[in-house]
Amino acid sequence: MRLNRLLSVFILMLGFCCHIAQSNAQTVDDATLRPLVQALAGDNFENTTKAISDLVKTGDPRVSKILDALSAGDLYVAKADKTVFLGKRDGSDYAATDPLTGTKLDPVPRSSAEKIKVNNRLRRDIAAAIGGLTLMSDNIAERRSAAEAILKTRDPESIPLLDQAIAAEKDAGVKVLMQQAKAAAVLNSDAADDVKIAAITEVSAGNSRDALGLLTPLENVQGPVGEAAKAAIDSINTKLAFWNAIQNVVYGLSLGSVLLLAAIGLAITFGVMGVINMAHGEMVMIGAYTTFVVQQIIRTSAPGLFDYSLLIALPAAFLVSGGIGVVIERGIIRFLYGRPLETLLATWGISLVLQQAIRSWFGASNVQVGNPSWMAGSFDLGLITLTWSRLWIIVFALSVFAILQLVLKKTMLGLRMRAVTQNRRMASSMGIRTPWVDALTFGLGSGIAGIAGVALSQIDNVSPNLGQGYIIDSFMVVVFGGVGNLWGTLVGAMSLGIANKFLEPFAGAVLGKIVVLVLIILFIQKRPRGLFALKGRAIEA
Amino acid sequence: MITQWFFTHVDRRGGIAIALLVAIAFLVPLSNLLLPETSPLHIPTYLVSLIGKYLTYALLAVALDLVWGFCGILSLGHGAFFALGGYAMGMYLMRQIGPRGVYADPVLPDFMVFLNWKELPWFWHGFDNFWFAALMVVLVPGALAFGFGWLAFRSRVTGVYLSIITQALTYALLLAFFRNDMGFGGNNGLTDFKDILGFNIQAGTTRSMLFAATALFLALAVFVSSFIIRSKLGKVLVGVRDAESRMRFLGYRVDRYKLFVWTISAMMAGIAGALYVPQVGIINPSEFEPANSIEAVIWVAVGGRGTIIGPIIGAVLVNFGKTYFTAAFPEIWLFALGALFIIVTLFLPKGILGLYGSWRTKLADRAARKKDSAPPPVAAENVHLPEPQAAE
Amino acid sequence: MKAQDTLLYLDGVSVSFDGFRAINNLSLVLQAGEMRAIIGPNGAGKTTMMDIITGKTKPDAGDVYFNGEVDLTRHDEAEIALLGIGRKFQKPTVFESHTVEDNLVLALSGPRSAFSALFHKQSANEAERIEDILYTIRLNGKRDWLAANLSHGQKQWLEIGMLLAQDPKLLLVDEPVAGMTDAETAETAKLLREIAKTRSVLVVEHDMHFVRELDVKVTCLHEGSVLAEGSLDFVSNDQRVIEVYLGR
Ligand SMILES: Nc1ncnc2c1ncn2[C@@H]1O[C@H](COP(=O)(O)OP(=O)(O)O)[C@@H](O)[C@H]1O
Ligand SMILES: [Mg+2]
Repeated sequence: MRLNRLLSVFILMLGFCCHIAQSNAQTVDDATLRPLVQALAGDNFENTTKAISDLVKTGDPRVSKILDALSAGDLYVAKADKTVFLGKRDGSDYAATDPLTGTKLDPVPRSSAEKIKVNNRLRRDIAAAIGGLTLMSDNIAERRSAAEAILKTRDPESIPLLDQAIAAEKDAGVKVLMQQAKAAAVLNSDAADDVKIAAITEVSAGNSRDALGLLTPLENVQGPVGEAAKAAIDSINTKLAFWNAIQNVVYGLSLGSVLLLAAIGLAITFGVMGVINMAHGEMVMIGAYTTFVVQQIIRTSAPGLFDYSLLIALPAAFLVSGGIGVVIERGIIRFLYGRPLETLLATWGISLVLQQAIRSWFGASNVQVGNPSWMAGSFDLGLITLTWSRLWIIVFALSVFAILQLVLKKTMLGLRMRAVTQNRRMASSMGIRTPWVDALTFGLGSGIAGIAGVALSQIDNVSPNLGQGYIIDSFMVVVFGGVGNLWGTLVGAMSLGIANKFLEPFAGAVLGKIVVLVLIILFIQKRPRGLFALKGRAIEA
Repeated sequence: MITQWFFTHVDRRGGIAIALLVAIAFLVPLSNLLLPETSPLHIPTYLVSLIGKYLTYALLAVALDLVWGFCGILSLGHGAFFALGGYAMGMYLMRQIGPRGVYADPVLPDFMVFLNWKELPWFWHGFDNFWFAALMVVLVPGALAFGFGWLAFRSRVTGVYLSIITQALTYALLLAFFRNDMGFGGNNGLTDFKDILGFNIQAGTTRSMLFAATALFLALAVFVSSFIIRSKLGKVLVGVRDAESRMRFLGYRVDRYKLFVWTISAMMAGIAGALYVPQVGIINPSEFEPANSIEAVIWVAVGGRGTIIGPIIGAVLVNFGKTYFTAAFPEIWLFALGALFIIVTLFLPKGILGLYGSWRTKLADRAARKKDSAPPPVAAENVHLPEPQAAE
Repeated sequence: MKAQDTLLYLDGVSVSFDGFRAINNLSLVLQAGEMRAIIGPNGAGKTTMMDIITGKTKPDAGDVYFNGEVDLTRHDEAEIALLGIGRKFQKPTVFESHTVEDNLVLALSGPRSAFSALFHKQSANEAERIEDILYTIRLNGKRDWLAANLSHGQKQWLEIGMLLAQDPKLLLVDEPVAGMTDAETAETAKLLREIAKTRSVLVVEHDMHFVRELDVKVTCLHEGSVLAEGSLDFVSNDQRVIEVYLGR
């Protein structure tokens, strides 16, 4: 986390340096500028036009303000000495300021000054000139918004200005934007076909959605331009579809990770032990509440540690949920082995008790679990934007999965667990204390549910009902993936997550979920033992 | 003649239960309608409706026991059939409102006007007719159960797998009925009913008649269940419960037997829902909550599964407790319900009736031993639930 | 040999579970009216072979024909039972919460549809057959007992009674005398010989004494295929059979 913060400071500074280096400002001294401003008060429009373009050529940042005032009719000329000033009506006088320095001048009586006249033609020139000027502004945000504005208006007149600005531009991003604005303007002009086709290529390299907007009107134009536009539109659409699919996959993976986290503990208790734990969701819920408590303690006693709160909550949640799991196994479930339906009912009762206990303790409404800073924010990937929390959830779920696999494959507990699963009697006659293995297995499954609760507290409301929302989905994942097989759970969770996200655009979130549920129900009919079914007597019993 | 026919299909307990139900079907309305309110025997209307509600739950429990207690299919989705029956009845009641709704549309129920719908969706047609609605009360749950069961039983989905997908079924329906564009009033469901078959639904007389109908339907359900259980089909079902694959090796198409009893049971549940809705005055998607279906399971477990009247006792007792606790100690109710699940499964697997049964057997055993003759361990009435054993 | 003219015909049957070959290229032929004893060490695949014949397990390869023409691999358990193949399980499975009589009623041949079961009324003929069978299996005094309360041996007999009630053409009997006293064993052998007069029987048994008493052709299975076949004396003198039995 520390590293993270350092990094962001570094990036900020870097940006600042670039900013200074890139300043396009070319200030001109007042002496050169003054006559040009005076020239605005020429006696005919032609002279004014010339004055405007002369002013613009200086590229001085003050020019745009003066031209603004001109266009708004705030620029006056004193009848006596012909000085040009910025005026504001103030009773029978004009409150006057110097257009260049901005210093206050003596008020000028209204009768002794004249407004510099502008007509529509001039106003348009002024507008274009101002656009051009902000294109040259030394503020990068201003330049960007000027380019964006032209991208919208697609005014062909701004082409020369854009050319100028592009030549001067140093920021790559803004430059690209300007080039696209120019291409858009070209498409809107009566330039030659080959120029336009080049512009089409330019446009379609940019933001796909904007490009679609620019190109769609051209689609029906006769001749090579229309064809080029159509081809460009097609390729943009394919690209959009591609990124859309990527987005669905990523969203699906993150939903799948949530499912995986919720289901993986169940996969152990149900899959490995054959115990139906309807209170599994409550183990998740208790993990989330543990996070809440940990954060409360940190807030009051060590606020500086807040960014580490989740790391502290992980082992705490594992121990709390796992401990409760062991107690449940020793106290109730062990009396019900071999009676799966009764186990189901008893654990449902446990889930009610746990929910009510939490409700009596913490209240029925949501508690506020905070996000550490590193969970906040988002980043761009191609054409899509992803939040960090989405990414972290995926990473976290996969790590939990990997660690669990390691525990099962490489540790003594894992070995014993597998032995007991495969042949309980043989295992016990080999000296494995099966009751303890049962209790620890159940504790492990419950503890992992607690860990899942830590993660879910970051993306879901933490209330006593938290677990209820996950229990059916998690069972579906385990059943779909195939019982007794963690890989099945992984594949099951991810494919259900992705299927959900792909169905959502067509069917809406709720209907999508219903469709997935119905598909699973149908799927179980076809493959009652799930995707990755073990075959054999052990399973049938 | 008829009594003889009756008693070949119903055992003594069932006979008593039926007689009692028929009796209260007449006595409760009489007491409510004829006795003065000051009389100690007068039953106030709210109580009539409350007991009526309990009896619809009892009907649901009987339906559930038919599949769980006698055939080993633990359904965690029977609430769905109950709710579907309820919705069918609710649709009839909605159409009866006619122009008396808030928006006074002669045809469209209020919620449709509110959603700016212009005409009645196709599946709402016909529900202005009571008999059509009554048919749908059994056909819709029956058809769903048939389709679902046909798929599930044919591919031999059993045990907890089946339980879990029945739960998923009711969950999917819950989500679906929450949607406004399903056309069933979304979140709010169907309510504000005015009358049924032309009678004001709030009137005491109507309430009493609904009560009587519920008691009679429950009596009928007890009879139908007894008839099924005491037939050879019932023996097959128990055989399926105890050793399903053995039954197959005897040449029985187990899936069809299950499908039969499953569908019948769903229809009973639908009737229960249809009787429930006019008595509570509302039906909304929360009836599809998986928790409701599991709660129904505990009624059966408490009363004694695999018995015909156990579920009735369980449903009435548990719901009485629920009414009492949620009013007196709302915090405690979930603790109590949760504890009930745990205690019943751990210590009372055969429920109250099972306890009573084994107590009686013990007495009989002692008496017999006194007489010093080996007792034939007949247990016609006792529940006996061996663990299902897989035929090897 | 051709499948025609045989009652049961297995040829080249194989099945494996998660890579383990329980039955390996097994071929076996049973003539109509024949009684055959199958012996073999534990795990030889005897029960699995019965699973295949009765449709519980589908073979990965090979032919299984009944009556020379019916391909058993295409039928499920219920259909095969109705074709006339009855089976007694290694672990006695009777319906424990039913009475002895009801167990027989359920097994009794007749229509099997749900509808006919709902309105079934016992005919005089059926009552008589049940009476006969109860007598044959020596349980007529216990007809009202719950099957759960029978002794192990009595359950075995009840299961044989259920087989008789099914009235099959072919009986598959898996370890019928396991857990029986010597006297019961002798009785059972007598009973099976009696049954074999009218039906074909396939008996799996470990108990050599019992097999000798049956006095029929013997097939020895080992690791999923036939090791030796012939009279009991012939088979028990086969070097490989001796190795298999003593080698363990
Ligand atoms: N459904 C099954 N799944 C896995 N293994 C099986 C299955 N059925 C049989 N086997 C294995 O096949 C072998 C043969 O078993 P079985 O036919 O029961 O032998 P037996 O000759 O003792 O009756 C055994 O090793 C057994 O473990
Ligand atoms: Mg065997």
